[in-house]
Amino acid sequence: MFAQQLVNGLSLGAVYSLISVGFALVFNILKFSNFSQGGLLTVSAYLGFLVATRLRLSFAMTLLVTGFLGGVVALVIERLAFRRLRAQNSPVIYYFVSSITMGILLENLITVFFSSNFYAYPRFFQRFVINLGPFILSVTDLTMLGISVFSLSVLMFVLYGTPFGTAIRALSMDQNTARLMGVDVDFAIAITFFVVGVFGGIGGVFLGINYTLYPQLGQLIVKGFIASVIGGLGNILGAVVGALLLGVVEVVLVGVPGVGSGLSPVVIFLLMLVFLILRPQGIAGVIIKEKA
Amino acid sequence: MGYYLSVLTFTAITVVSISSIYVITGLTGLFSLGQASFMAVGAYTSGVLLVRLGIPFALAATAGILGGLAAAWVVGVPTLRLRRDYIALVTFGFGEAIIAILNNTTDLTGGAMGLVGIPQRTTTWLAVFSAAATVLLVRNFKYSRFGRQCIAVKNDEIAAGSMGVNVSRTKMLAFLFGSALTAFAGALYGSYTSYVEPSLFAWGLSAEWIIIVFFGGINSLTGAVVAAVVLSTLPEILRFADEWRIVVYSVIVLVILNFRPSGVFGEFELPIWATIKKGFSHVNQG
Repeated sequence: MFAQQLVNGLSLGAVYSLISVGFALVFNILKFSNFSQGGLLTVSAYLGFLVATRLRLSFAMTLLVTGFLGGVVALVIERLAFRRLRAQNSPVIYYFVSSITMGILLENLITVFFSSNFYAYPRFFQRFVINLGPFILSVTDLTMLGISVFSLSVLMFVLYGTPFGTAIRALSMDQNTARLMGVDVDFAIAITFFVVGVFGGIGGVFLGINYTLYPQLGQLIVKGFIASVIGGLGNILGAVVGALLLGVVEVVLVGVPGVGSGLSPVVIFLLMLVFLILRPQGIAGVIIKEKA
Repeated sequence: MGYYLSVLTFTAITVVSISSIYVITGLTGLFSLGQASFMAVGAYTSGVLLVRLGIPFALAATAGILGGLAAAWVVGVPTLRLRRDYIALVTFGFGEAIIAILNNTTDLTGGAMGLVGIPQRTTTWLAVFSAAATVLLVRNFKYSRFGRQCIAVKNDEIAAGSMGVNVSRTKMLAFLFGSALTAFAGALYGSYTSYVEPSLFAWGLSAEWIIIVFFGGINSLTGAVVAAVVLSTLPEILRFADEWRIVVYSVIVLVILNFRPSGVFGEFELPIWATIKKGFSHVNQG
């Protein structure tokens, strides 16, 4: 029973980690909390729904196409909301408002075009569960876990094993020095946003499968925020660990009498406050300081 | 006539809540993405007391404000000593938590069905008077020592700290002050509509307030108030489709951010303020 809950929690956490990693990537480079990601999640969840129902693609193809579309949406967001701000060297506060505005714009565009109706993804899998000895595991959960782990591994390899990843990590330390060292800053930032969009696209499809589709779906980004706060803002590995932890805690909390799924956001919020008091630097243990 | 009075009342309540956002975001540079949930705290605290105990409105509103202060304290203590991003992320989570609490305490608050039958104590004149008093209060706050410290903290925390400003205390003070005002707006709102439900106070409302403040200009209280009045009465008068309203605002704010980042009003403040209170006239830099 416990092992099964652990697997359920980990697969939920893996979906959250797609969100929190996208959040951490942008935070790392541009040093602001990117609230437009919620809108990105909503839009990609609906795009994935259209791809799956109109084009009748398989699960794998739906993920691929939606991932790509999510990347394109993220590029557009970067172009419209942040490119000019960067050129003008605007203070962080404007990035912040820009991302909030973009997020609310995307959410409301979805509301306008799809109204507040609820939609559901088609059933992708013939079988719901696999019996593995004493465990009964959900096929959807296992697939999500597998795909999330795979995407995160690819990202880690790119970030730490390729020259391109080095350029992105250099950017996160100091944009001007990176530029002097021959990094094409605009291009690297655009690619980062594309990657964030791909993660958002895949995450959006998963959220759409897990829940029903509604315009406020993007508010599940709060899970990514909590995971980032627990893991340490801007730290990618911390974001993954925080998200997995959050997933497991959520699954466990649902089973606790008196809490259930209704009050679990409250308990998690209180746990996060306590965590912030005890260890504000997060699991990763590095506080990003403002430079003077 | 009754219709216009109700538009006037809602606008006045919006002015109160926008003033609170001005204190938190405009003056201090903190982003609260769950500020609407402080409005919920105010509305529900005063509403439940009015419904269950039938106490006078002034007492209930005071209780609502105290509730808002307590909530702001709980949220603020762990987060405000950290980087500014934390307050935005944590208030977002706070909003979710408040809605979850309201949805799961059906016996007390009516749950998702909402709290019904709050006695209607907010008259149009009370709302308008409250709005005027709030704006005056916030204006005086802006030009007081605390307000100047808030502006210093917004512009550069490190520089402000080295000048002897207690940064985390200043942020706490602004957050408490702002949240008390938001809770008061909630108390007014609840006992005007006589019905509140949790979904009214979702993050969209908090984000809309921030958008309105930026529309007018982050450094200008005049701008924030004018933006609040214009943006909350225009759709009522023009009656254009409600769902497009936020889309249009968002596009306008994106254009403003890209091409005139200081907002429509920039640093401008109505000089009427200065002539009314001569003593303050020489200090008009935001």
